[in-house]
Amino acid sequence: MKLARTWMCVALAAGCGMTEDPRPATFEVVTLEILAPSCGQVQCHSTSSKTRDYAFDTLPAARLTLRELVGPTAAESRIIGVMRGTESPRMPPDYPLPEVDIQLVATWIDAGAPGL
Amino acid sequence: MMKAVVVALLVLASAGVAHAYPQYQLSRDATCTSCHIAPEGGGLLNENGLAVSESISWKPGDSTFFYGVETPDWLHVGGDVRAAGGFVYPGFASAAVYPMQAEVYANAGSHGFSINLFGGLRRPQSGAPLHAFWSRQHYVMWQQHPDEGRGLYVRVGRLSPTFGLRLAEHVAYTQRFGGAPLYDEAYAVAASYVVPRFEIHATGFVHDPIATEVEHGDGGALYAEVRVTEHVAVGAEAKYASSNDQDRTYAGVTGKLYLPGPEVLLLGEAQYIHQALNTGSMDKTTQLAAYVMASKPLPSGFMLDLGAGHYTEDTRVAGTDRECVDANLHWFMTSHLEWILTTRLELIDKGSGPNGGYALAQVHYRL
Repeated sequence: MKLARTWMCVALAAGCGMTEDPRPATFEVVTLEILAPSCGQVQCHSTSSKTRDYAFDTLPAARLTLRELVGPTAAESRIIGVMRGTESPRMPPDYPLPEVDIQLVATWIDAGAPGL
Repeated sequence: MMKAVVVALLVLASAGVAHAYPQYQLSRDATCTSCHIAPEGGGLLNENGLAVSESISWKPGDSTFFYGVETPDWLHVGGDVRAAGGFVYPGFASAAVYPMQAEVYANAGSHGFSINLFGGLRRPQSGAPLHAFWSRQHYVMWQQHPDEGRGLYVRVGRLSPTFGLRLAEHVAYTQRFGGAPLYDEAYAVAASYVVPRFEIHATGFVHDPIATEVEHGDGGALYAEVRVTEHVAVGAEAKYASSNDQDRTYAGVTGKLYLPGPEVLLLGEAQYIHQALNTGSMDKTTQLAAYVMASKPLPSGFMLDLGAGHYTEDTRVAGTDRECVDANLHWFMTSHLEWILTTRLELIDKGSGPNGGYALAQVHYRL
C-alpha cells in the first residue's frame, strides 16, 4: 500500500512538474540540451562536418556559430526563423524541434543571449 | 523552392555507415561473429557471412571481394559504398541527396593477432584538421580462437565502443539520441567474450583529440547479452562519458525474440539517459529513448522492417516527446548490391507540434 502511494505521488509529481519549463535559459542549456543533439549531429552542423560553416556540438563551436545567427531580438534572429520555418529552409530538415525548445532559445535571445 | 532544394542538398549531404544486420541473429546464427570478423559486428564479413549474403540474395553471384579477387590467407579486404536520395518532410517537401559512405576495410594478421583498418572518404570540411580522407577505425586485435568466431577478443585503437543494438538504420532513436550514435569511435581498449550462449563487451575510451567526431568525452561502456533460449535473447547496457562540457550516463536493456512460425524477428531497446552539465547553470536532465522493430524476410531477397521509436528529450518538460514510425523495405538484389526504401513519419508532442519524416531510396554496394 505504501509502495502504491509512493508511485502515485511520483506519477502525480511528474505530471504536475511538466506544466512549466524548468530549464534555465542559458547559453549552456540552449547549446548542450537543445542544439547539440538536434542540430549538431555529426552529419550536420558538427565540428567535423561544419555544414555551411556552422557547428553546434560543443560550446566553443556553438558560440562562434550563434554569434552569426542571433539578432538583437528573437524575432529578428535567423536561427528562430529557420527553426520555426518562417525562413527557408526549415531546420532541422527532418527532425523539427518542439515549440517549447524554440521558445526557450527565443527567451534566451530576448534576454540578451547571455554567455555568447 | 529551387533555393530550398539546393540548400537541402548541401545541408543533408550526409553520413551513414553500413553496420550489422542483427535481424539475422536469431534466425540464422547466434552471434555477430558468426558473420563478421569484429566482435560487435559491422565491417568485414567472414566466410560464413559471405555465404549468408549469397543465401539471402535474389541473384547471389560470387560474394567475395570484387567477385573473386584473391588475397593471401592473412589478408581480408572489403568495403561499402552507400548513397541515398529522396524527400524529407519538415513542413515543406524537398528533394535531398545523401552521399553516405565510401570505405574500404582491411584485416591483416595471423596467429590471432591482426591489424584492422577502415579507410575512406568523407565530405571535405572547412577549418577541420582532417579532410576528405580519413580512417574511422584502426586497431590491433587479438582473438583467442581466430577461426571460430568465439572466445576472447582484445582490441586496442580507434574503434566504436560496443553498446546496444547497432542497426544499419543509424537513425533509430536509441542510436541517434542514445548511446551509440553514428561515428562515435574513440581511442579505446576493449575486451569481448563471445560464445553462442552469451556475450559480454567492456570498453574504456578517451576521445580523439585530433579528429573530434561525436564522442567528446572519456569513459567506458558495457554490453552483455544472454541467449535465454534458441529464440530469445536479452541484454543490458551501460555507458558513461565525461567531457569538459557535460557528463552523460546511459543505462538500458535490449531484447530479441524470433518467431519461427511467421519468421519474424522482434528487436527492442530502451535507454535511460542522464545528462549533467559541467558548466554554467549545471543543469541536469533525464532523457528516454526506445526503439522496437519487427523484421521479416520475404521471397526473392526482400526483407521488411517495421519500426517504432519514442524519445523524451527532457522528462521535466511537457511537449518534448517525439514518436516515429518507420517502414524499410530491403532488397538484397545480389550478394553485393542492396536497395532500400526507407520511410519515416515523425510526430512531435503526439502530433501537436511540427511533424517530420522522409522517404528515401538507398543503394548499398558491398565491395
